[in-house]
Amino acid sequence: MSADVSDLSLVRRVQRGDKGAFDALVLKYQHKLVKLVMRYVRNPAEAEDIAQEAFIKAYRALPQFRGDSAFYTWLYRIAINTAKNAVVSRDRSPVEYDLDRNNTDESYDMQGRMKDSETPEGLVLTDEIRSTVNAAIDALPEDLRTAIVLRELEGLSYEEIAATMDCPVGTVRSRIFRAREAIDRRLREVFEGGLGRVEELG
Amino acid sequence: MNEELDSQLSAMFDNELPAAECELLARRLSRDEQLKARWGRYAVIGATIRAERGVRLNAVLASRVSAAISSEPALTAESAFQPKKRWENRWWQPVVSAAAVVGVAAVSVLWMRSQGVRPESTPVVAQTTAPATSSVTAMDSSSMTPVTTGEVDSYVVPKTPARRRPVVPSTELANYVVAHSEFSSPVARRNLLSAFMVSESGTAGTSAGSEEPIESVQDDAKNTQ
Repeated sequence: MSADVSDLSLVRRVQRGDKGAFDALVLKYQHKLVKLVMRYVRNPAEAEDIAQEAFIKAYRALPQFRGDSAFYTWLYRIAINTAKNAVVSRDRSPVEYDLDRNNTDESYDMQGRMKDSETPEGLVLTDEIRSTVNAAIDALPEDLRTAIVLRELEGLSYEEIAATMDCPVGTVRSRIFRAREAIDRRLREVFEGGLGRVEELG
Repeated sequence: MNEELDSQLSAMFDNELPAAECELLARRLSRDEQLKARWGRYAVIGATIRAERGVRLNAVLASRVSAAISSEPALTAESAFQPKKRWENRWWQPVVSAAAVVGVAAVSVLWMRSQGVRPESTPVVAQTTAPATSSVTAMDSSSMTPVTTGEVDSYVVPKTPARRRPVVPSTELANYVVAHSEFSSPVARRNLLSAFMVSESGTAGTSAGSEEPIESVQDDAKNTQ
């Protein structure tokens, strides 16, 4: 199985003018990209701005994407370059008053979070999503939990998980799907209620 | 939403769906907002399991990117990279090269005709220049005279350069030296006069009638010493 087949099918659709397919790629990689950019900037809001810029750059450069490498590898390079450029241009601007760097990571993280434009309700929603997912994972049967964790945390392929769990690949696919469905059922309630709240807050 | 479709979506999210199924599902995914929302939640589940701290898990970034992209022009099939086959790139290249060569030749012939130059006369230039270079190799190295082989009828022997007469005749110079001998040392005077005599004897064969006798110079020199 090609490692990038589904991404490539979405990419080809975007290249033919289907913007909805690009939304799917953004939804899939937005968290990974923000996490990646946060190696360069610690403020989550700034990291999101850079990630957004990287996605837009990727969209504009997509006609040149030939599929020689995986889409995420290509996107990763764009994000790294965008982050580096952002750091350089930020360092050149003298006005920004930095926070006390002697603070511990956690307090700095909190300050960074409070510095961004996100509302406290938004932070609560993120925490709620996180706790809901963790609770749902804890409630999963052992085989489903192992399958989803090996996939998402370890990044193993279905074949590797099948070898690890000593079961057919089809079973792995089914277990991962059922795990996602179980988590998604609980997550959907939070999301729909949470998104409604965010929209209200405007 | 049927279970098979959701199962396919989950496999597609993991890049584990066969390519043919991916094509169909990608089309549906790009249009179906419900399916897209589910796809987004799968991403949230993964981010939570990986404990991506500091990352907001609601879909704010995705909606911002989507809004920004909506104002961008849609990509077209022409703008997308499409690998070309080699023959598509290269079949016309030899044709174009041949056409260019033929065109240049035709223009040259037309130009020569308009100038009244016969095409046959052009090799003359080569004949006059080529033997000039080959004549160097045909020379006898000891006498530096051209060796006639009889092969090249059109060869023109270059004129031997005429020996240039000295700008100031040696005799006059000698007289000048003798007249001003009080300012020079005897040894220098003698050397200079000897040099004049040698040079005069070398040119005597070609211009004997025009030069003054050397003996008179020598006599004058003896008188001054």
